[in-house]
Amino acid sequence: MLMFKDLDPILHSQLRLAVVSLLISVKKAEFTFIREKTNSTAGNLSVQINKLKEAGYIDVTKQFKDNYPQTICNITPKGIVAFEEYVKNLQSYLHQGP
Amino acid sequence: MPEDSITQQESLAIIESMINKAKNRFSENGFLYLLWGWVILFCSLGQYALLFVFHSPWHWTVWLSTWLALIVQFIYIYRKRRVKRVTTYTEEILRYVWIAFVILLFLMGFIFGSKQSNPNGVINGSMLLAIYGMPTFLSGIILRFRGLVAGGISCWVLSLVAIYAPAQYQLLFVAAGVVIAWIIPGYLLRARYKQENA
Repeated sequence: MLMFKDLDPILHSQLRLAVVSLLISVKKAEFTFIREKTNSTAGNLSVQINKLKEAGYIDVTKQFKDNYPQTICNITPKGIVAFEEYVKNLQSYLHQGP
Repeated sequence: MPEDSITQQESLAIIESMINKAKNRFSENGFLYLLWGWVILFCSLGQYALLFVFHSPWHWTVWLSTWLALIVQFIYIYRKRRVKRVTTYTEEILRYVWIAFVILLFLMGFIFGSKQSNPNGVINGSMLLAIYGMPTFLSGIILRFRGLVAGGISCWVLSLVAIYAPAQYQLLFVAAGVVIAWIIPGYLLRARYKQENA
């Protein structure tokens, strides 16, 4: 029987996976854009973004635009590798069948 | 649903849906194509009229209006950046394509605009059209927008034809080029933008 690697627990979570999948497709995105596209609450998204940041998967830049705080996120090279690995493992699970 | 109980199928569905949400954004509204299309059309026809109809020595002054267009462009970009919440790779690549175009345009302007190679002060339409074709064609490919691809190719065809045309008609070739390459695709882009962002 083939052995499968465990799916990365950081990415194998609904909201964190959604955030990383969104960020892999764009160069950078603002917090409010991510919140809107993932249909999440600001509190939950903030917690998950912090977890991704601690894992080194995304970079978070805080700045001021017209006196309003703005949080900009972008995926890191480590995040891209982790995402690719996750998708590869996911494929091997799916090929194995349920 | 507890967040860690997702199945592999659900994971795949999340990835697919998020990538599609990012991919389907179409943010090109055609404004800059229309701005520059109309300005260059005005300048080329204006210079043609002043030079060959009114025989004015001030024929080149119409091109000063490009500075006004540049100011409008800066204000437009500044305002757009203020409300911008996401930057796609497509936008990033397009930005550099147009920056390369502007640098090339200025360099060619200096090279061919020098008194030695251009004593009459009338632009070389053929050269201008050859340069216009590059960013127009590439933008069409990157945005998957046929109107711009056709516009870019048209510029190159017109550029070839203009080589054999008398110097007097160079400005008219430029005018035709911007109508086909920027003004028509600009309106098509605007229509598509309005439709997709309605």
